Amino acid sequence: MIVRWSRWSPQVALIPAVVVALVAFIGAIGWTVLLSLTRSRRFPEYVIDWSEWSRQYERLFKDSGWEIALKNLLVLGLGSCLAIVFGFVLAALIDREKRGEGIFRTIFLYPLAVSLIVTGVAWRWMFNPTLGVQAFLHALGLTWVNFNWLASGETAMYGIILASVWQGSGFYMALMLAGLKSINSEIWSAARLDGVSFWRLYAEIIIPMMKFTFLTCAILLSLGVVKAYDIVVAMTNGGPGQTTWVPAYFTINAYWAKSNLGYASAAAVIMLAITLAIFLPLVMLTAWRERAREARG
Amino acid sequence: MSLTIAEAPVERAPLFPRKKKGITPRSIAILVFLAICAAFFCVPLYVIVTTSFKTMDQIRQGDIFSLPLPLTFDAWWNAWDSACSGIRCDGLKVGFWNSMAILFPSLALSLALSSVTGYALALWNVKWANAFLFILFMCAFVPFQIIMIPLIILSSGLKVYGTVWGIAIVHAVLSMPILTLIFRNYYKGIPHEIMSAAMMDSGSFWRIFVEIILPMSANILIVVLILQITSIWNDFLIGLTFGGLGTQPMSVVLANVVITTTGEAAYNENMAAALLTAIPPLLIYFVLGRFFVQGITAGAIKG
Amino acid sequence: MPRVVFEDIIKQYGRLTVLKHLDLEIEDGEFLVLLGPSGCGKTTLLNLLAGLLDVTAGRISIGGRDVTDLDPKDRGLAMVFQSYALYPTKTVYGNLKFGLAAAKLDKAEVERRIAWAAKLLQIEPLLNRKPAQLSGGQRQRVAIGRALVKNVGVFLFDEPLSNLDAKLRTEMRLEIKKLHDELKSTVVYVTHDQIEAMTMATRIAVMDGGVIQQFGTPDDIYSRPHNLFVAGFIGAPAMNLRPARVKSTPAGLAANLGGLTLNLSSYGFVQAPGEGDEIVVGLRPEHFGAPGAVPDGEAIHFELPLQHGERTGGDATGYLRLGDGLLAVRIDPEAIGGLRQGDRVSVGFPAAKLHIFDARSGLRL
Repeated sequence: MIVRWSRWSPQVALIPAVVVALVAFIGAIGWTVLLSLTRSRRFPEYVIDWSEWSRQYERLFKDSGWEIALKNLLVLGLGSCLAIVFGFVLAALIDREKRGEGIFRTIFLYPLAVSLIVTGVAWRWMFNPTLGVQAFLHALGLTWVNFNWLASGETAMYGIILASVWQGSGFYMALMLAGLKSINSEIWSAARLDGVSFWRLYAEIIIPMMKFTFLTCAILLSLGVVKAYDIVVAMTNGGPGQTTWVPAYFTINAYWAKSNLGYASAAAVIMLAITLAIFLPLVMLTAWRERAREARG
Repeated sequence: MSLTIAEAPVERAPLFPRKKKGITPRSIAILVFLAICAAFFCVPLYVIVTTSFKTMDQIRQGDIFSLPLPLTFDAWWNAWDSACSGIRCDGLKVGFWNSMAILFPSLALSLALSSVTGYALALWNVKWANAFLFILFMCAFVPFQIIMIPLIILSSGLKVYGTVWGIAIVHAVLSMPILTLIFRNYYKGIPHEIMSAAMMDSGSFWRIFVEIILPMSANILIVVLILQITSIWNDFLIGLTFGGLGTQPMSVVLANVVITTTGEAAYNENMAAALLTAIPPLLIYFVLGRFFVQGITAGAIKG
Repeated sequence: MPRVVFEDIIKQYGRLTVLKHLDLEIEDGEFLVLLGPSGCGKTTLLNLLAGLLDVTAGRISIGGRDVTDLDPKDRGLAMVFQSYALYPTKTVYGNLKFGLAAAKLDKAEVERRIAWAAKLLQIEPLLNRKPAQLSGGQRQRVAIGRALVKNVGVFLFDEPLSNLDAKLRTEMRLEIKKLHDELKSTVVYVTHDQIEAMTMATRIAVMDGGVIQQFGTPDDIYSRPHNLFVAGFIGAPAMNLRPARVKSTPAGLAANLGGLTLNLSSYGFVQAPGEGDEIVVGLRPEHFGAPGAVPDGEAIHFELPLQHGERTGGDATGYLRLGDGLLAVRIDPEAIGGLRQGDRVSVGFPAAKLHIFDARSGLRL
């Protein structure tokens, strides 16, 4: 048998990537899962006491900070959906009124180029009660306005949501715009000839046609929300108290502030589980889409 | 039958001239709405820019939307050179140079790794390519926290923990799955016959890559480059967890400057620091916006 | 010199079998056309020969050398692709040069070969251009040039003319044929266009369903189609194929064709059918003539009502009602203008040009 280098050279070239995937991702995930079963504190231990393997998880779900984090995750997720709605409205309007498309797109997207830390710093400054927007409005005589959201645990999450929506709407607008542009132009012509009203066109034809785009946006948004960390640090640093903790913040905090490896690992594993729960529909969506494409072609 | 020959049309005024259509009320309503939204998006930028040029005296007057009077560059200079983060007071310049030192090796590493991997997976016949792609697809969405601790342990073992090299390598490793998928999708679009022709002409994995495929990748290389520059520059978490004292990237230094203030915050300095950090990616965005949009959409829906 | 031999080739994709126990021998210097409808396996066969695909089972040899396990670049052949597959970032010169990438030649020899091919194909003025700056015909020449510089004995063409317009296609057809005559190399040429096959090939392999249906010279394939598939596939407009039943008459075997009795006594049967056997009778539209044009004794006469007519400039086809079907017939284009639907048309058909097939096996009788 002759050795065919054309068979081997691509596989050799793939070795670095395979090593990275196996060590830095799969291996590391396994490692973290392992750590979450141990009593590791500042330094890793690898002895698992099987009689109480779940002690880190049990502790975690009794921790009020974790409970807050999970609740905030939900709040943040639901609130951030505004970014999708807002993004769609902007995309639909831009697509309908072609005038100024370039300028509007540039303006709506620029927050995405800015780091979340900068975004947080900027919004934190605007939320400043004595020198920020509230002071400005009060000076105008609108003294009933309360824009000091970050100072109170009840409204601080809304402040974070506002900043995230400001940052992310442009992204969803770009995805929606791409989706709208891929709709066959004859659909618009047909609707015009049929005299379909503006609202019915969108409600009955365009939005159903973009169901894949909406689903993709929703999944990407959820995955992004699970990872949300920078914005929380920059705007409230978890406060006031623990009121704006999210799982990502909780995990980093357990590692750095509490120096508790095992505990942080357990929180990270739950984060992974949440990600998987969101991720699996994405896999199915991809498969579904593939099948839809095959059925068409 | 007589022969008809088309005559050249004569230049003359139209028989039924129509008035030029003006802008409709609906268009005006849409444009006004979009303009209001645009203003909402611009407000934070306006506020940080104006604040960064104000004196603290003017800021204390509490009018956040006023224009800077007198206009001063002091805050910018202080932010760059002497702002305090924690105990050190040498401004953002250290962070800037650290970010630069992280950026370039990381770019080289991640582009080389992911383009070759994408090429091998897309254009060569590797039996386990699909299984590996699926793994990469999963890896691309894994939250950083789940692999953070092992990576810290590993990089300490390799003696790169806390160095700019360590941060650069971690960036390259973490971006490998998504960038590989982007490259692979792009290379899948290269006509099959080009690859067949190259197989008959040369058959060499590296030669085909360097001579044929790489020159065809200019577009995707720019897209990935911009995506990577902005994500490395804007990263906070990796810089925070892997940066040591004095090797932290700019975003981490910025966070320290703003968050760890004692006494009255120097808001003008903070805003100037934020702007300094935001300028490189914003520049790229405004100059190469088209590629930026392509990058983030490609990064999002690897179709 | 290169003689290409396929022995018992099987190609499967998963459970789908594309080629079934295929044997084929291509003589040195031959211009072989693989002809068939899309999906018949002809391109797969070409890719197997090129080494771009691997056989599931079987053996391929070129010039007596077993190449089944060799890489494409080591097989000593050159290929021209349907989309030309020019490297878009390289100039014409760079494209030709990369064609020699695997050959490890010295610089002077590379230059000499490029100059030779460029001169032969008249692409010398284009050498510094990029493919995007070339017309379709010019790209085609460059693609051929990239194959020529390799100086190999076997050239493969994968539907190379299908992306050209009709006029250019005719030109390039002649040119490829001329090149073959000059270089005396072996050519394997895949196409679904029977005009190309008929005009260029020294031999044609008609393929369908992963099997070679007939392998022979163009004349052979046209005048003695081996089975119903080949009969129906070759010829435009397509051959009229009508089912009939054999009966015995005092004058010999005959068949009933939509109410007409067809005398088969003069047909040269390979294997004569028995009484009552189901057969298929084939009549090429272009063999019909005016009743007087065919000598009486050997002619079959039809007088049938016209359903509709088609004119294609210099030619015309009439569709006559015969039984419950239509019979396509070549008609003098001058005459067809005066005919209306329902007019009875009288035509003759030379009995010697009949084709008869077994209805069950589809084989020629």
